[in-house]
Amino acid sequence: MECVVQGIIETQYVEALEILLQGLCGVHRQRLGVHEICLKSGPNLGFVASEVRLLCDIEQAEPTWTVKHVGGAMRGAGAEQISVLVRSMVESKASKNVLRLFYALGYKLDYELLRVGFTFHFHRGAPITVTVSSVNKMLKLHATDEAVPVTPGIQLVEVTAPATSENYNEVVAAVSSFCEYLAPLLHLSKPGASTGVVPTAAAAAASLMSDGGGTTL
Amino acid sequence: MPLKWVLNWQPNAGSTVNSQILNEVSQCVESINGVKEGRWKATLTFYKPMLRDQALAADFPRDFLGISLPEQPNKYYFILRGHKIVLEADSSIQLIMEKLQSYKSRVALNFEGFQYQLGDFQLRVGKVVPTHSENLRGIVMEVEYLPISSLEKSRQIMDEFVDIWQDTVSKRSLPGHFLHIEPNFSDYGLADHYTSQHTAVQYAHVMAQLIASVQAGQAARN
Repeated sequence: MECVVQGIIETQYVEALEILLQGLCGVHRQRLGVHEICLKSGPNLGFVASEVRLLCDIEQAEPTWTVKHVGGAMRGAGAEQISVLVRSMVESKASKNVLRLFYALGYKLDYELLRVGFTFHFHRGAPITVTVSSVNKMLKLHATDEAVPVTPGIQLVEVTAPATSENYNEVVAAVSSFCEYLAPLLHLSKPGASTGVVPTAAAAAASLMSDGGGTTL
Repeated sequence: MPLKWVLNWQPNAGSTVNSQILNEVSQCVESINGVKEGRWKATLTFYKPMLRDQALAADFPRDFLGISLPEQPNKYYFILRGHKIVLEADSSIQLIMEKLQSYKSRVALNFEGFQYQLGDFQLRVGKVVPTHSENLRGIVMEVEYLPISSLEKSRQIMDEFVDIWQDTVSKRSLPGHFLHIEPNFSDYGLADHYTSQHTAVQYAHVMAQLIASVQAGQAARN
């Protein structure tokens, strides 16, 4: 399982966000370059359609692959009330043949994206990952060298934390609490429930940039 | 990692495998001073596609196998023999396949038995049985040479050892012999340096031989 919130931020404020995150997390950022290939089962395969994501980390000298299955969100009155999405998620590292294997099994390319940016991995009540990236589409099949932003000038911010059915309440609280620190720059919410950019972003960013993050927001 | 050859018991025409043969083979290992060390088990699963229209079954692979190996407890291996694809993944890939529900387990077999130390060699003798059954379907043997990881550099010593082994077994006049047919690893994109992916490919090929000999036995009886 994982807990997830997302938000968007204008590219011009990403540097300020990075300064804020650096101060909050106490760790250095890591570069992110992930080619995300989303596959869907062909028309006859499975009694219900299925989707699987193959993530290729192209930042490594030797690209590494991860298979990711994102399942349904937690449902019910309790789930409606919390501001963080809790959903099933299973990942597995895989060797480089993974795309060939899924094609041979009858999966087809649904869409592919290139995410470029940075991540922070740290612990604050739970192991949390903040990813700030531009989402790019490829003009030709698998051509990561020729990718263009899906939303120029806007980047996606995602905060995720692994969870189990026993501890998800604590993880939700940790993620929610962390997100409050980012509120002056961006609003984070459940994926699919975006509220757009925040009006305080410009002022908050200016403040962060002027004294390198010394200001308490 | 050290390389190994996986050998498959090939019954003579008209005969089948039985536990007496398995006992005799184990005694052979001990007769050449193999020291029994402990148990081992590998599990092989046949997957079948879940199709809304069975008439289109030919469009999907029928040889999709998954294997777990005792020397890699956190890994799982997929093989598509017809496509010459082998994949190494974390064990969690099995959970992903369950969630996808596009392929399900059709039958699972255990390869299990004892392992023996014999100088620089580690030998494993194993029965092939369906999970939750004691119905013996075959016998396999692993011959691992610990000092070397290169398939080519080890070829001569492995040939010599297997010759000695075949000779020892033949003295017991059993109705069959061990067979080693090395798959073309380069077809699978595998190099000379031995890995668990090579082992997974060998087991997939041994499985094909087992199925062929069972089918040949059935044909002979009909």
